[in-house]
Amino acid sequence: MKRSILISFVLLGATLLSACSSAASRGTSWPGLTADAKNAYLANGQYVYAARLSDGSKAWQYSVSNGSFYSAPLITPDGQLIVGSIGTDQGLYSLDPSTGTQKWVFSGAKDRWIASPLATSDTIYAPNNDGSLYALKLATGQLLWSLSIGHPLWSAPVTDGKLIFLTSLDHFLYAIDPQSQKIVWKTDLGGSAAGSPTFSADNMTLYVGSFASKVFAINAADGSIHWKMNTNEWVWSNPSVNGSNIYVTDINGQVYSLDASSGQNSWPSVIPDGPITGSPLLTTDGVVVATESGSVYSLDHNGKALWSTALGGKIYTAPVASGNLVLVAPLGAQYLLYAVNEKDGSMLPWHFDGK
Amino acid sequence: MFSDPWGFFILNPFTNVLLLIYNLIGHNFGLAVILFTILIRAITWPLNAQQLKGARVMQDLQNDKEWQDIQKKYAKDREKLAQEQMRIYKDRGINPFASCLPTLIQFPIIIGLYQSVTRALAATPLTLLQLARTIYPFMNAAAIIPLNSRFLWMDLGRPEGLPFPGGFTLSFLPYGFPTLAIVVALTTYLQTKLTLPPSTNPNDQTAAMNSMMSIYMPLFLGWLVLNYASGLAIYFVTSNLLGIFQYAMMGRVNWRNLLPTGSQPAPSKVKKSK
Repeated sequence: MKRSILISFVLLGATLLSACSSAASRGTSWPGLTADAKNAYLANGQYVYAARLSDGSKAWQYSVSNGSFYSAPLITPDGQLIVGSIGTDQGLYSLDPSTGTQKWVFSGAKDRWIASPLATSDTIYAPNNDGSLYALKLATGQLLWSLSIGHPLWSAPVTDGKLIFLTSLDHFLYAIDPQSQKIVWKTDLGGSAAGSPTFSADNMTLYVGSFASKVFAINAADGSIHWKMNTNEWVWSNPSVNGSNIYVTDINGQVYSLDASSGQNSWPSVIPDGPITGSPLLTTDGVVVATESGSVYSLDHNGKALWSTALGGKIYTAPVASGNLVLVAPLGAQYLLYAVNEKDGSMLPWHFDGK
Repeated sequence: MFSDPWGFFILNPFTNVLLLIYNLIGHNFGLAVILFTILIRAITWPLNAQQLKGARVMQDLQNDKEWQDIQKKYAKDREKLAQEQMRIYKDRGINPFASCLPTLIQFPIIIGLYQSVTRALAATPLTLLQLARTIYPFMNAAAIIPLNSRFLWMDLGRPEGLPFPGGFTLSFLPYGFPTLAIVVALTTYLQTKLTLPPSTNPNDQTAAMNSMMSIYMPLFLGWLVLNYASGLAIYFVTSNLLGIFQYAMMGRVNWRNLLPTGSQPAPSKVKKSK
């Protein structure tokens, strides 16, 4: 009797401690979402799903022992789907987007993959939580070279066709020359950056936000700062560039429309209804943002709400476009994936639940 | 505040104190966890002492002749046995719950400490966002993040393990040889062995439970460390060593318990009834 009480007590303790442990080592986060014209690809925990956009049915699902997926899958120019795992497998996987069949896996990193990679015509640039950027052969995933930067890398790199630009949690934006495999310049952002920079070919400028509650416009050639603008809170997401407008969000829930040349905000108080971590999605009418409160808002070019749709759960993942659909992957909602019409926010009759 | 009393009263203050220490000592998270554990142990020292004292009194009672006599005498009359036990408690001024109450009070503190370590380590975007909301405004979160999670050979945000020689891998030990899990299990075992008094009474159920606990707890904590961030292991090791230290300060450590044949009952300190 006493033995069973003791064992029950220990099991209860184990359950409590396990339940109350945060995601520090197990790793949970918000879903990663990508889409092409046919499917949406959702990285959500144990599985990577492909959902047909025609009817929301499941095309395939992929899982791997000890794998856990949250970064947005990447569709490469040669038609691969690349997704990294934050599980103990530490794998970066190449899948066939039409069948979910694994093509290759790269297991040479020392830590997890939180960031999505960048793919060029022949190379994949994959930042890892171990602080290194890995360059892999696009076709096979073979390691070409790696560059140790230091602190964890959580954001996807971008390129101007010559240099690779990459933010780090160590407060810096780095420019890396893939030819010499060396850092060309780095610029202090005053705080960690979990979002990627956005490159504008119009003025060869990078726009990037940081946890210093600032947005920077940085010369892509030498890393010098053109301007910086204060936000009310941390900027988590990538800025979205539309001509001379830079759209930025912060975790206080404010949406900013900044002048590309001066950084001046022309939307002084556009605050939908909750914190925003996902990047604004550019649409023909303006931008679409998704809030932690579980709603999606379409804002016109003056910051006026055109429509809003409440989906439930909490939305941290950036909305993704496919044709005239806006795809949204809330955390903790009834369904894993919702599709709304870009024009009026009306929900499509299907929802994807992963089954 | 009222929507999240646990966060308001326990988790957020704990996390901020931990980060404050981290900031003050020059961004060494391992050392911050050790100092934070010492601080918590110092604050809860009186509770621990009361618990240890209460447990010892109850243990001593199991070896008391009068107590053993009534167990035998009223073995078939539970009601009478309970009455007699209450009488002995009353006569000798013993509160049978004296060791339970401090444990109950400490339980949320231990859980809070555990959670604050894992929250501060913020290993994923979601947990980092939670951390951002936990840090008090005066702390300048932007300057603190990212935390330097390197300590000795460990990344405190991940389970610990030393690489096997020659690149050898084992699927059930994905992080390598679990040094710290073994150290945690060992120090937990040592703490329980050194601090649990042996009993001469073969029917002493408390001693039987303690004996089982000395096996289960090290295994359980070792398993936790195998699977969770090594920052927690630093807390467990520090806490175990401080527990032994506290017992030693109270003159209660029974070193003979470590010898295979050396188990000796501690001298009884239970007052005899007049």
